[in-house]
Amino acid sequence: MLEDILKNIVEMEEHEAINKAKEYLEGGGDPQKLLEVCRDAMGEVGKRFEQGEYFLSELILGGEIFKGIMEFTLPKIKSGSVQKIGKIVLGTVKEDVHNIGKDIFKVFAEASGFEVIDIGIDTPEEKFVEAVKEHKPDIVGMSCLITAGVTSMKKTVDKLKEAGLRDGIKIIIGGGRVDESVKEYAGADAWADDAAKGVRLCKQLLDWRVD
Amino acid sequence: MVSNAKELAGKRYARIMAAINLEEPDRVPLRGFGGDIIPAYSGITQHEFCYDYEKAIKAIEKFLTDFQFDWAGSGITGLDGRVFSVAFSEYPDIAANTTFITGPMHDALGDKYYRYPGREISEDASPQFIGGTFMEADEYDQLIEDPVKFVAETVLPRACRNLETPRQAMATMVRLGVEFARYGAAGREIGAITAKLGYPSIPMGGAYAPLDIIGDFLRGIENVLLDIRRYPDKVKKAAEALVEPIVNYALSYKQRGLKWVMIPLHLNEYLSPKLYKEFYWPTLKEVILRLADEGMKAQVFFEGRHDAHLETILELPKGWGIAYFEKTDVVKAKKVLEGHTCVMGGIPMSLIVGGTPEKIEEYVKNLLEQVKPGGGFILSANVGNAPRETPIENITALIEAVEKYG
Repeated sequence: MLEDILKNIVEMEEHEAINKAKEYLEGGGDPQKLLEVCRDAMGEVGKRFEQGEYFLSELILGGEIFKGIMEFTLPKIKSGSVQKIGKIVLGTVKEDVHNIGKDIFKVFAEASGFEVIDIGIDTPEEKFVEAVKEHKPDIVGMSCLITAGVTSMKKTVDKLKEAGLRDGIKIIIGGGRVDESVKEYAGADAWADDAAKGVRLCKQLLDWRVD
Repeated sequence: MVSNAKELAGKRYARIMAAINLEEPDRVPLRGFGGDIIPAYSGITQHEFCYDYEKAIKAIEKFLTDFQFDWAGSGITGLDGRVFSVAFSEYPDIAANTTFITGPMHDALGDKYYRYPGREISEDASPQFIGGTFMEADEYDQLIEDPVKFVAETVLPRACRNLETPRQAMATMVRLGVEFARYGAAGREIGAITAKLGYPSIPMGGAYAPLDIIGDFLRGIENVLLDIRRYPDKVKKAAEALVEPIVNYALSYKQRGLKWVMIPLHLNEYLSPKLYKEFYWPTLKEVILRLADEGMKAQVFFEGRHDAHLETILELPKGWGIAYFEKTDVVKAKKVLEGHTCVMGGIPMSLIVGGTPEKIEEYVKNLLEQVKPGGGFILSANVGNAPRETPIENITALIEAVEKYG
């Protein structure tokens, strides 16, 4: 059953995946195990995306199926019993009101076991600083879609430096307009222009933390 | 001065046209950019730039005077308004006016599609398109049945606060008409200024990919992608139904004497080749072909990465228009499209924002070595909007590098 669910998610068979997941739980299945299977499926979807087999539409649908299953699975799991691999403070930077990239990334990051604190869109630099102070994340993720967002990213990194918080965190930037030179310009540690790569890099950033 | 300007414009026009006609020009033409840097360069806010046309025109004149590209890419800010053009597609004298929705038009409509500086966002923020969901999944049949009626009478009253009731709509349309006239006059003024500065005139109208109308303005990007899986036949039929109004709207530009339409694509990079070929490309191709039959060419902006779909461009007739790429490798694109399609792009905006004059010169030199031979190439930033912090010396470095190596 779990194997079928995994396959259904990976193959984008939305109805089958959700119905079988429901059946599995109704039949007394272990929600924790179901969660793990869904996470593995999302990992596979991300992998296929990075290999060029899947495109953004599959990432979005995969995320939708995952969210659909989590809706009735997570309430059945005792809070606190789900192990998190790391914490990310995530926001779309100042003056940019787009959420699509941030939201796709968020689903995949959560599916990979990250705790994600979403601080929204058009996020002032100070709000990132406050969120870092409050939540003490491992990683700060900044998203932007428009070109103006590039300079907002730099300003946000500068503000984190000023507040003396930069050394304690890793920073990843993401979105359609970012690349290696934006990463250098902004002073971030990593960049990604898709969610799959972004999550993969976040896991790597955690390893650097251990070093 | 005037004759010099005419001569200069003629030279630049010949340069651009040679590239479009897949020939080798005297030098690779450089398409200009604009956007946020224009108000910043003149020390005015984004709000002033979007709402005070007099100040905006002065700022554009200053920018175009100091940064001489071959092809001016600057104008008063407007955001894609093609859903309105579909609604007005039965009225060619009106439809063309809604290709771009300016700040004052946005105020008149009270729409939920756009965010303008000094309105929903801060005075100095860049105007942004955000879209939304204004049609439910079970309404596809209505869209298929009569797309113009459905968009005009059902979608727009939901998407625009000031079109909710017929009496509101009456006042809104009058206000909108006033804004059309103001925007048109400003456009003519900018046209006179660019002519005086020696820029060629290549006016472009608009068209759109049918599926993008559904994604951007009706269902929202995420929903339309899910709809493709959930209701594939309906999505396909709806895109087909939108071809006719889009072509009618685009042809209204022909009546005004224009020979070009601009088509920015949005969903292209979201789709796998299989989905692209089934749901997106057939209707976009039909729009381009129908316009080509009428003697109109298209400049298509292939947003994001179009690498997986490059070969489909070869299905269009040779010399159909300009393929403008954002993140697709233009060297590779030029190889695939050589002798068939003029390729535009090549300069990442991030390089202009974050690079140095030396880095830019080096980059342009290397790129031009690869794309200059054989012609058919127009150099351009990969997006038209330069952020307000763009270093001025980098813009100058770009122009000088093209003079040197083009």
